[in-house]
Amino acid sequence: MDEPILSVRNLEKVYPNGTRALKGISFDVRRGEFLVVIGLSGSGKSTLLRCLNRLHDPTQGEVIFRPQGQSPVEVVGLPAAEIRGLRQKIGMVFQHFNIIQRHSVLNNVLYGALGRTSSLASLLGQFSHEDKQRAQKFLDLVGIGDKAHARASQLSGGQQQRVAIARSLTQSPEVLLADEPVASLDPATCHTVMEYLRKVNQELGLTIVCNLHFLSLVREYATRVIALKNGELVFEGDPKEIDEAWFTKIYGEGARQVHIN
Amino acid sequence: METKAVRHQGPWVRRCLFDGFAFAYLIGFTILEGLQMDSEALLPHLSQIVWVGLGLSVVGALLSAGLAQRQVRTLGELIYAPLHIRSQHKAVTSFWASFAGIETLLVVAATVVAGWQLTEISFIRLLEADSFFHAMRLFSELAKPDWGILPKAILKIVETIYIAFMATAISVPIAFLLSFFMARNMVGQSKLGYALYTGLRIVFNVMRSVEPILWAIIFSIWVSFGPFAGMLALMIHSLASLSRQFSEIIEGVEDGPIEGIQSTGAGKLQTIWFAVVPQIVLPFISFTIFRWDINVRMATILGFVGGGGIGTMLIEYQGQAQWPQVGTVIVVIAAVVWVMDTFSAHVRDSLK
Repeated sequence: MDEPILSVRNLEKVYPNGTRALKGISFDVRRGEFLVVIGLSGSGKSTLLRCLNRLHDPTQGEVIFRPQGQSPVEVVGLPAAEIRGLRQKIGMVFQHFNIIQRHSVLNNVLYGALGRTSSLASLLGQFSHEDKQRAQKFLDLVGIGDKAHARASQLSGGQQQRVAIARSLTQSPEVLLADEPVASLDPATCHTVMEYLRKVNQELGLTIVCNLHFLSLVREYATRVIALKNGELVFEGDPKEIDEAWFTKIYGEGARQVHIN
Repeated sequence: METKAVRHQGPWVRRCLFDGFAFAYLIGFTILEGLQMDSEALLPHLSQIVWVGLGLSVVGALLSAGLAQRQVRTLGELIYAPLHIRSQHKAVTSFWASFAGIETLLVVAATVVAGWQLTEISFIRLLEADSFFHAMRLFSELAKPDWGILPKAILKIVETIYIAFMATAISVPIAFLLSFFMARNMVGQSKLGYALYTGLRIVFNVMRSVEPILWAIIFSIWVSFGPFAGMLALMIHSLASLSRQFSEIIEGVEDGPIEGIQSTGAGKLQTIWFAVVPQIVLPFISFTIFRWDINVRMATILGFVGGGGIGTMLIEYQGQAQWPQVGTVIVVIAAVVWVMDTFSAHVRDSLK
């Protein structure tokens, strides 16, 4: 079997205020899988994702990233100068989309190329021809190619999230981190965005690590699941294995499942 | 339990001190009112007054501590005690019937009475026939502007507008650059960043607290009287004010877009340019236009102390009691200020 694309070992994160967000987590992310991370708000899901691309600095532990055809990267101790290179290989989409509202859709997607564009060229708006083509191609892929010249703020929430997906694809990443990508969308739009993530996973072969709230979405889209509770890993396995007993264990007594269709 | 008590001592001490000062203020006020002395007469006794005041404050603070034991809410407690202590008391009476309410009323009443005396408010003087007609004559002279000096006044107000414009134009790019080093979320955790942040804040706070009119006096000696001195004075003040306002806007930007751009592998400069600048550019323009507007108004005053522009003209005519000419200048200033005000409001509206 292929080596895992990401290996996480005993990962710990302590915030300056003393909060222990992650208490020694170990798991693997297999190449090409759609891995979903579940758990209550505050269980450490967002922190975990941000430790993988060094938006947060882990306190202890080991994260090994194995890009295709390149030597493995030790993420935790990575010097600041090399973090940019790591982030180019690991795209990320966010709950609140985090695109630039005042700029055009196409420009937002082009910002995925910032990592390989020099500061001066990018400040002058000089992106390479291939990058522009690539940006348009990915906009078409997520079905909003015709909106390229609209202002990002004119788009609906679901469309904005698709802009964010296209932006991360422009990076040509191998892994896509998705932090609650549908949590601020209405139920109908949820599935559209999740479908595009699946498309990216299956057609482009991107490995996806996605935080989700709704178990019904997990069962539909995940190929594998891990669950966090108070910063610890409490479940790892197939989405079908999460029965009532596991549900209570992960979400606590008194929790009830919410279904969205 | 013990650590909790220690943590709450600060607010508790401040509460007692505040009530102590309020007590000393009220008693001292009553005594001074009883003695009917004015501030001149008090001057030789100042040190005794301070000692008595401090003594009364201590007595008041002890009284406040006593009241705290009896769970009486004082004004000091309302101001200084943290919410969770305050909520332990159950409010049964309305504010004005409570101890704190009466304390507030007494302090405000004493301050109004003292203020009335200190500002020498006198309706008799306001309505005195002789001086009243003097003022009326001045008014009627002002109301007959001498339009012969209009061309000269217009030339001078144009100078004023350009003084204000140059002061704004020079200060904006410098303020723009420096404001990033004055925003806590931009300088980061490093020692150098913190030193830069603190240093710039202190320097600009001092620069801002010196009134432009003082800067104009300084520069009129440095570069001699004229528009250049006025421009420099306004520029210094604008630089300090704008960089402060700009940095506060930067501190208010959303983190989301910053994370979004960072996650693509963008560098620091790229992150600022693509994630921060789009969020701040409109408020920056808005504050800049507003600053130009303020500078035009300030520039007219700076002319009084040799800062050039129409203010110089105004002070000259006023010195020679040429009221119709003064009237013309006032009309011109009012017209320009009104136009600038309306224009800047429109521009700021369109940027929302």
